[in-house]
This record gives sequence, C-alpha cells and structure tokens, in this order.
Amino acid sequence: MIHVDQLSKSFDDLRRGSIVALDSVSFDVEAGEIFGLLGPNGAGKTTCLRMLSTVLQPTGGKATVAGYDVLTQPQDVRTHIGFMSCNTGIYDRMTAWEMVEYFGRLYDIEENELQQRLDRIFTTLQMQDIRDMLGSKMSTGMKQKVSIARTIIHDPPVLIFDEPTTGLDVLVARAVLKTIEALRDEGKCIIFSTHIMREVEKLCDRVAVIYKGKILAIGSIPELEEQYHESDMEELFFSLIQQHEDQLAMKAQ
Amino acid sequence: MIQWKNIKLILLRELKDQMRDRRTLFMVAVLPLLLYPAMGIGMVQMTVLFSEQPRNVVVLGASDLPKHPQLLEGDHFVSNWFRIPSDAEKLRVITDIEPVKKADAAADVSEDAQQKEILEQAHKLEVVLRKHQELLKQWKQIEDQEDLQQENLLAREITETNERLSKLFAESRIQVLILIPKGLSKEIELVSAKLARHEPIDFDPADSLRPLILENSADEKSMIAYRRVEEVMRSWEKAILRDRLSRANLPESLPTPINPDSIDLAQDEQLAANLWSKLFPALLIIMAATGAFYPAIDLGAGEKERGTMETLLISPAKRTEIVLGKFLTVLIFSISTALLNLASMGFTGRHMVNLAGSGALSKIGDLSFPSYSALFWIVVLLIPLSALFSALCLALATFARSSKEGQYYLTPLLMVTIGLTVFCLSPAVEINAFYSLMPVVGVALLLKGMLLSSVNAGILYVYAIPVLVTSVGYSLLALWWAIDQFQREDVLFREAERFEVGLWLRHLMRTKDALPSFAEAGFCFVIIMLLQFGVMNTMSQAIQMATDAERPLRMMQLLMIQQLAIIATPALMMGIMLTTSVRKTFRLYLPSLGFLGVGLLLPFVLHPLSLELASSLDWFFPALPAGTVAVLKSMSDPNQPIWLILMAFAFAPAVCEELAFRGFILSGFGRRGRAWLAIILSSVTFGAMHMIPQQVFNATLLGLALGLMAVHSRSLFPGVIFHFIYNSLSVLRGRIPETWVPENGLQHFVTMGPDGLRYSWPLLVISAVVAIVLLRWVVLQSNSRADQKSTSVESLTSSAFDRRLTDTK
Repeated sequence: MIHVDQLSKSFDDLRRGSIVALDSVSFDVEAGEIFGLLGPNGAGKTTCLRMLSTVLQPTGGKATVAGYDVLTQPQDVRTHIGFMSCNTGIYDRMTAWEMVEYFGRLYDIEENELQQRLDRIFTTLQMQDIRDMLGSKMSTGMKQKVSIARTIIHDPPVLIFDEPTTGLDVLVARAVLKTIEALRDEGKCIIFSTHIMREVEKLCDRVAVIYKGKILAIGSIPELEEQYHESDMEELFFSLIQQHEDQLAMKAQ
Repeated sequence: MIQWKNIKLILLRELKDQMRDRRTLFMVAVLPLLLYPAMGIGMVQMTVLFSEQPRNVVVLGASDLPKHPQLLEGDHFVSNWFRIPSDAEKLRVITDIEPVKKADAAADVSEDAQQKEILEQAHKLEVVLRKHQELLKQWKQIEDQEDLQQENLLAREITETNERLSKLFAESRIQVLILIPKGLSKEIELVSAKLARHEPIDFDPADSLRPLILENSADEKSMIAYRRVEEVMRSWEKAILRDRLSRANLPESLPTPINPDSIDLAQDEQLAANLWSKLFPALLIIMAATGAFYPAIDLGAGEKERGTMETLLISPAKRTEIVLGKFLTVLIFSISTALLNLASMGFTGRHMVNLAGSGALSKIGDLSFPSYSALFWIVVLLIPLSALFSALCLALATFARSSKEGQYYLTPLLMVTIGLTVFCLSPAVEINAFYSLMPVVGVALLLKGMLLSSVNAGILYVYAIPVLVTSVGYSLLALWWAIDQFQREDVLFREAERFEVGLWLRHLMRTKDALPSFAEAGFCFVIIMLLQFGVMNTMSQAIQMATDAERPLRMMQLLMIQQLAIIATPALMMGIMLTTSVRKTFRLYLPSLGFLGVGLLLPFVLHPLSLELASSLDWFFPALPAGTVAVLKSMSDPNQPIWLILMAFAFAPAVCEELAFRGFILSGFGRRGRAWLAIILSSVTFGAMHMIPQQVFNATLLGLALGLMAVHSRSLFPGVIFHFIYNSLSVLRGRIPETWVPENGLQHFVTMGPDGLRYSWPLLVISAVVAIVLLRWVVLQSNSRADQKSTSVESLTSSAFDRRLTDTK
C-alpha cells in the first residue's frame, strides 16, 4: 500500500546551510500491518510522513501511497490517507461534531452516509457526550479523540500516525494505541512514528530505526533481535545509533 | 480543476468561525455600530458644555473715543460690531475710565483688584511701547544718512525694546492692547464737520492720529482675540465712514463703487455632497483595509499559530481552493466592515442634524445621504478595492508565523493606505487618466468625483472602466501572490529560527550559486531605487550651484557619476559577492553575429515607434517636471561637444543600466525558471527606475525587447549596442536644426514639428514590420532552447536544484 523508494528531502537553514533531513529512505508497508518508524527527535520521521501526506514535496526519490504517486497525484493520495500528528490541531471555535463533519464533507462523502458514519464513529470512540463541545473547551484527550475521528471519517485504506501519543496521559495514550490496533485488525495499512520503545514493541509488526535522516535497520522485531544479537529493543536502538555515530566519526577522519 | 464545492465549504466554515470570534465581531460589527453614535453623543455633549473663556482686551485712552458711533458699552464692545452678536461676550474690555461704582461693590473687590493689576501691566507696556515707537521713528530719519555706527546702535536698542515688549506682553494677562491717541474723537469730529461743509482737508487724517493695537500672533489666545478686535474695528470704521457720508449728503455706497452681487447656487444636497465626497472615500478605503486586516491575520497566521494549518493541508482540498475560500471570507468581512461603517456614520450624521436643527451643528454641513446612483457606485468600486486589500493581507498574513508577526507586517500596508487616502482628500487632486490606473488612488478619486457632483458625473463614467479594470487586475495579481505564498513550503512551515544579520550574511555567502537568487535581484533593485532617492537632493543642489554656463556640463558629469555609482556599482558588487560566476550572471559571452545584427538594427525601427506612441499618449501622463525638461534640453544643447553628450546620455546608460537590469536583475529573476516572468519583471523594474511616468512607460516597453534579446542571445552585448544606438538616436534627433526641411523623398517619411523631428506613418509601418520580424527571429532562435536545456541539466546535478524546488513549490 505504501511504497517508498530512495526518498530524500533537503532544505535551507540559516544556521547550518543546506540540510539533508531525509537521505534516500526506502521501505514498503502492506495492508493489515503496522509499520513503526522509530527514532529520536529530529531524525526525519515527521519530514518523511509529511512527504507521504503530500504536504511537503520530496527533493529526490519516489513514493506511492495506495497506488498513487505523491508528486503527480497528490489529490488522490490525500483522499486515500488519514493523517494524524501532534501538529494537526482542531479548530477552537468548532464543536467536535462540526469539525469531523466539515472534514467529511471535504472528503466528498455523500451526506446521508456521512451522518451515519459520524454517528457510528462518535459511538465507538465514546464521544457522544462531547459532540456539541467547542474545541477550546476540550481536554487534550478529547481533542485527540476528535483528531482520530477526523482521521478515519472517510475510511481510508492508509493511515499515518506521527507520534500520536505525545503529550497524552497514560490512559488516553493507551486508548489511542488500542484504536490503532483495532484499525490494523480491520485491514488498514498503518505507518506509525514514535520515539517510545514500548509502543513499538507492543504495536508494530515491522519497524525501521531512523536516525539523522537515514534508516539504520529495518525488519520485524524478532528479525532485528536475531540480526543484531540483542534481545532488548532499547539496547538494540542505542547500539545502532552508536554504531552509526562511530561510522560518521570514522568518515570525518 | 478547482472544485467550487470545496471553496464553498471552506468559505462557510471560515465565516462561521469568524462569527464566533469575539474580536472579529467587535471590529467588524460592534465597533462601527457603537462608535459613530457614541461620537455623535460626545459631540452634542461637547457643544452643550463648550463655552469660550472671555479674553482680556485693554483700551487705554478710552476717554478719547468718539461718543458716536459708540465703540464700547460697559466692559464689552458694542455687540452690533460683530457678525454674530453673541461674540461680544467673548471679549472683556478693560478701560482706564473710572468705572461707575455700583451698589453691590463689595462682591466685586477681587474683580476690581484684578482689573487694577491688568491696567498697571497695560500702563507699563504703554511706556515701553511709546519708547519703541520713538526709536522706530528715529530709525526712519537716519536711514538715509548712511551713518553706520548710529544705525547699529539704534538697531540694537530697537531689538532690546522689542524683546522687553514681548516679554512684558507674555507675562501680562492681556491678549490685545489698544492705545487710543489723545484727541482722537475731536479730530474725527473735526474731519466729519469739514466734510459735511465740503471744506478741503489739508492733512491726512489717517496718518496723524492712529490708534495702536498690540497682539502676539504666535499666541493662539491673543491671535483669536485680535481677529475679533479686527472685526470690530472694521465695522466700527465703516460706521464712522457712513456717518460722514450721510452728513455730507453723499450716498453711503460711495466706498464700494462697483459692489457686485453674487448668487450662491449650492443646494443643500450639494453641500451635503461636498462633505460626503471628502469623508466617504477616505472612510471607505481605510475601513475596507481594516476590515480585511484582522480576519486575514486570523485566517493566515492564526491558523498556523493554533496548529490547524496542517490539518487543513492534508485534506483533499487543493491549496488554491483553500486560499480562495479564505480570500472570499476576508473579502466578505472587508466589504461588510466598510459598508457598516458608512451606514452607521450616515445614519448618525442624519440623526444628529435632525436633532440639532439649525443650531450650532448646522455649520458642519448637511449630512443627508448621497444619492442612490452614488451608493451603487460605492458598492461596485468597493468590491475590487476590498479584493485587493483582502488578497494582500492574506498573503502577508500567510507569510507571518504568528498573529503578532502578522500585525507587524500588515501595519505598513495600513500606513501606506492612509497616506494615499490623505493624498486623495486634497481638493486639488482630481481624477485623470493617469491616476485612474493607480491602485487605491483611482477608486478614491473616482468616488470623490462622483459624490461631489451628481450633475456632471457623466464625464466621470469615462474613468469608471479603467478604474474597474485596473482594480480588478491589481486584486488578481495580489491574489496570485497569496496563492503563491500558500504553495511555498518555507512559508507554510517556517519555524522560529533565530535571526542574526551576521548569520544571514554568512548563509548568503555559503549558499552562493552561479546566478543570483530571486530575492537578491529584487534587493538589488531596491538598493538602486533607494540610492537614487538618496542622491536626488544632492544632485539637484549641485546643478543649481553651477553657473548658467557650466550647468549643462555639470549635469552631464553628474549623470555619468549617477549611472556608475548608483546603477552599475550595486549590481556589480552584488554580482561579485553573491554569485560564483560573474561572467554568467552578467551574461559576458560573445553573442552570435545574428544577435549583434539585431542589436544594431532594432533601435532604428523601435525609436520611431516608441517616440510616436509616447507622443500619442502625451495627454495621458502628467506634465514633465521643470528639472527634467532642463536635463532633456541640455541633451540638444548645441554648445556642448557631441561626444560628451553621447557619453552621458547614451554610452554610460547603455553599459551601466544593461549591467544592472539585463545582468544581475534579469539573471536573478530568471532563477525561478520562468523566463517570461523574468523578462516582464526586469522590464518593469527597469521602467520604475526612470521615475518619470512618460519614461517609465517607454522604458518598460523597451525593457521587454532588451530582456528578450538578453535571454535568447545569452549575452549582454546586443542589449548594450541596442541601448547605445537607441539613446544616441534620441540625442541626435534633438540636434536637428529647427529650420531643416526634409526633401528628396524624405518628406514622405519624416516631418518637422514644433517639438522636433516627427515620423510619418509610412515609416512607422515599415518600422513595425521590421521590428516584428526581428523580434520573432530573436524568439525563434534555438539558442534559447539550448540555453534552457543546459541550465536545467546543470541545475539537476547541482545543489541548486534542491534549493530551487524549495524556492518555488
């Protein structure tokens, strides 16, 4: 469903000059699996996912999402994905219902069906009691629920979650992860970025460790553990990063 | 394909969102609805509470005033002498006549003491004043004697007494002091009696005994009091004159032998129109700008600030649709703010007039509503005007990272708007063809004219079409810019990075490319304009300082210096510092022979065409300023050597301007890969550099030809040749003697007009055909295709490619 081939992105920075935020990254994600992008802050996760959602344009490489090219068919890509990140806020002066309804209409869902779907989603996500609450009055957890509802209102085959649990308390975070799991079981193709090891261990079918714009390792967790002879995910992560830093230092010399 | 459904969805959401925003509602609806009634109430209150403090006028020697006609009455002037009799209350007259003691004198003790003090001050002033007058009289006497020493001494004394006088006057509580000379009443009576008997008068009565009035026009209180005293004196004098005339059995109208009668045709409606024509356009424009200001910030920067921008970007709506939706929202708010303000002001004004009747407020003018046709035009013109403001505000607000930043960016826009509006308020400024094409100004002046004269509005409708067309054009341009802003990643995802000048300069140096960037080209133009503005004063001073004989020479020297220092130097410096290839930036390549030929031939055919075009459009442009006329005249000064004139007017501009505009600026603008845009922008900047409307127009058109040649030949030299020959032709045309008569068949092609050589239509037709052929050849040259290909291949492999993508999309 997602096919990423040598995707690169660089941009100008006043301080550091031209920066390569993502350096020839390639991976594939199939339907019915959760693919994890694991990396520290600034590793290029958000840049990568933004390019997949066509908000940013790649400066090199190719990517197709649900069969559509992100460069040439951005419209089609956007109608077939649900995207949620800590940057996709909700409107302060709209109620939960209006917000999700608005995006549903932008996705061109037929009005009758939209209302039915809205009702179903609000029930499954237990949001019926906040349907007429304004965004500015909501707690972080409520907002996150609205965001999820907004993400899945058009029933997209591909879902992209960019650190969806950042800033949430344990209970809400758990609920979000449960929802993502449930979506996988529905057969969605899910890409999920995080810097939290436990989330990866619990949730992801396959994972890519990303650092300084490069994928250091890719595979299912048992595969990675076997490949690097390390049973602890956290240790594995650190040793990969250490290895990469050593290589960079070698090159610099 | 743009989907209107999405635009409508976004528009409706934004509208609802704004309606739920208290700040926007306050600015758009509540403020206008409350502000004007509140101001009205305030004005009524003020007029009720307002009363002017009486001012002190001291009259010394009041006993010498004639008894008839009477000037004073108690401690006031006689109210008959004022146009508005109640004004008499505003001046308190203190005289040196002992007041008649009243019965309740006890209450007036403090008043008496005050009067006494003022009188004392007046007497002190009188002493100094007499001395001052004495000195002045002496001055007049010795003026002709040429005794320098005595003159100096006296002059010092005069200034001394003058200073003492003003000091004493400022310290006193007197606003106007009147000194009546002794025996005034007797003399007036004497003259009147002599006149009545028709006896000759052997002295000038106006010269012998003149009352003296002391005031200080720098002090507002004194000035106002003096104006009233002047009014009193004038009408009092007239009364004395009338009295004399009647006693001498002469008609009272004797002093006004012609006495024309005038009839004022102004009707109430027109008086009202006069006031509206001043207030309405100004208010309309400022309110349209303010109405766009706040919603635009909220829709642009506010969306980024609240973190909902990305939510919207990942929806299927295209960015163009998003911008259009937002733009329409801002437009609706801008229009409704302007209309609500006008309506509120109109109704308040009308209500107040009804309220006050013919009271003090009627002086402001009638505030009845403008006619329906005027209102219709207000709405029609408001739409493109609001669209321009909305698009500009939205583009700037999108660029801003936060609402606060948005306000910083938009404030200059508001200031410029207010400046233009104030300019249009001036009664001397009227709409003409030139103004009708200027943004904002055209609309303001057209509205002003339409509201001013409902009768001759017919002529004004001629301007309605250009004003509307250009306004729509400007707003489309602004909208295009807003959409462009919305498609740039570096604008949408600008993160708060620390900005330091040093860092930025280092960044510029580090990311040097073969060619300058778009922004650098724009900056180069701004620098050229600023420098030009900066030295304008110095240059004109230097020209004025020169004597008549050396003026043309000085002018030409300065022209060359200006070309070198202001136009060529910035471009060359920037080219060396900011690019890696000076040669490529300035196109220092040898062109093919064909292009050299075009450079040689094209000016000969374009010169007649542009000259005739310019003179046929002469009516359109404002008259040339005197300074420019002088410069142009020196071009055809026969006393100057021809080589010098050609150096100044042809060679220097050909090299310097080409380096700047077809070198650095065109290369920079072309970096975005849109050659046509680069050519247009470079020719527009080239035109703008010429400052004077006629030349701006001409230079812009020629800039297009020059740009085409530069881009397609990849060389600067054909342009330099063209520029040199073209300017030389203008110089040589001016040097043709006025007496020259074309003959030998030439008379079919050229004629001699009063303003020099003119070209006839056969020549123009030939020129046009040749020009089209030449320009077509230029465009068709495969050179350009090879050029584009080579640069695109090059840029693909270079790091510039990445930057270009982030630059544009």
